Amino acid sequence: MPRYGIAIDTTRCVGCHSCRVACQNQQGLEYKQSFNWIKEKDSGKFPSFGKEFVPLQCNQCENPPCQRVCPTGAIYTSAEGVVLVHRDRCVGCKYCIEACPYKVRSIDEHEGISVKCWFCIDIVRAGGEPACVTTCPTRVRIFGDLDDPNSSISRFIAKYRAEPLRPDLNTRPKVFYKRS
Amino acid sequence: MQESAWGWLIITYLFLAGAGAGAFVAAVACDLLAPDWSKALARAGSLAAGPLVAIGTLCLVFDLEAGFWQPWRQLYLMSNLGSMIAWGVIVLSAFIPVALLYAAALNEISSVGRFAKKYVRVLEAVGSFLAVATAGYTGVLIAVVNGVPFWNTPVMPVLFMASAMSTGLAVAMIGAAAIDIRTVRTLSNFALGHVIFLAVEGIVLMLLIFMSLTRSTEAAASATMLISGTLSPYFWGLVVVLGIAIPFCLSIVEYFEYGEMPKYLVVGADLLVLIGGMSLRALIVFSGTPPQII
Repeated sequence: MPRYGIAIDTTRCVGCHSCRVACQNQQGLEYKQSFNWIKEKDSGKFPSFGKEFVPLQCNQCENPPCQRVCPTGAIYTSAEGVVLVHRDRCVGCKYCIEACPYKVRSIDEHEGISVKCWFCIDIVRAGGEPACVTTCPTRVRIFGDLDDPNSSISRFIAKYRAEPLRPDLNTRPKVFYKRS
Repeated sequence: MQESAWGWLIITYLFLAGAGAGAFVAAVACDLLAPDWSKALARAGSLAAGPLVAIGTLCLVFDLEAGFWQPWRQLYLMSNLGSMIAWGVIVLSAFIPVALLYAAALNEISSVGRFAKKYVRVLEAVGSFLAVATAGYTGVLIAVVNGVPFWNTPVMPVLFMASAMSTGLAVAMIGAAAIDIRTVRTLSNFALGHVIFLAVEGIVLMLLIFMSLTRSTEAAASATMLISGTLSPYFWGLVVVLGIAIPFCLSIVEYFEYGEMPKYLVVGADLLVLIGGMSLRALIVFSGTPPQII
């Protein structure tokens, strides 16, 4: 069984937000709800300064705080290592939203349950790739199997020493970033 | 400041569950320690405990999204015993009936109460344990959240416990004054409880602030928000001065004056403790800041 992850090269991101729109379209979300965002980070001072665009989505942690605090057991990790939600079990207590350090969870207003990015697992199981990956015009994201040393994502992470966000939080995310 | 997913309903729950559990402990203490002629506080405390925690629990249910509209989903609430909410469901469902039974026993309400009176010591022992669990749970609930570094400290349950005991005692004292205003004189014995718990609350709050300032950037941001940032007027005004310092001083006077203090000051000090307890929880929830991730 593969163990899916995404590698993100922030140096290629131009901040066009097409990943967010593609995701909203794919998941049927309303304009005000997102499963991914582009955070902006300013650095330096004039005349030497820059802006970095950091795409953010669920990190599919191997030690997911959201899953640990969920009282109903609605949050579970699939065999592919993707953190999923049982739509029928979630009561909407929002404990997972508080527990997630990356703040990528939100409440679906129609169903009243906690939702987030799920790596488009329906498309992936059918042999495709997540919408945010395929739609990106500058090819910021690489999707693939982290357990296969020859996959493009594994080679990318090894080559650039890509790291997850805040590895010190010990959540062991499966989204890796090359940031310089 | 990122808005918390939890709002006033959860804050009200944190306050009411603490006050109800504290009122139960105050009632037990009064029933065991006080002389026969001053049982009004035990009666008032026991009558308040169950309903307060029950109303708090209703706030939790109202805060649910899908679980509120489709209540059968709540059957799943104890599925993951690694979750504090699952333990909270167990503790709350055990405490509320015991507290109601204890109120019936102390006040001899109906035949159930007269029957329960035979086992009042058992109810006091079991109930006190569950009351401590209820009050502690409100703190542990947010202390295990590592998505908010300011909350994620073992000091938090201690702070909530101290605040629960002082707010619970305040509820019981106001209730005792309402049942029989003449008992206000006898309440001065219990003012010592306020002195102790408010002192502990103040010290633990100070520890929390000092430790947060050095623990991590995010915890420091939350603590700074409280002591000198946007929330500082509320923190210093409502929590420190009105909620701790003034009732602390009043309680010392009350204890040594032994029943000579004006009634409105006695009840006023208790009302201030309640305002402080509610504000403390609100400010801790609102000052929660998530980790800086990028």
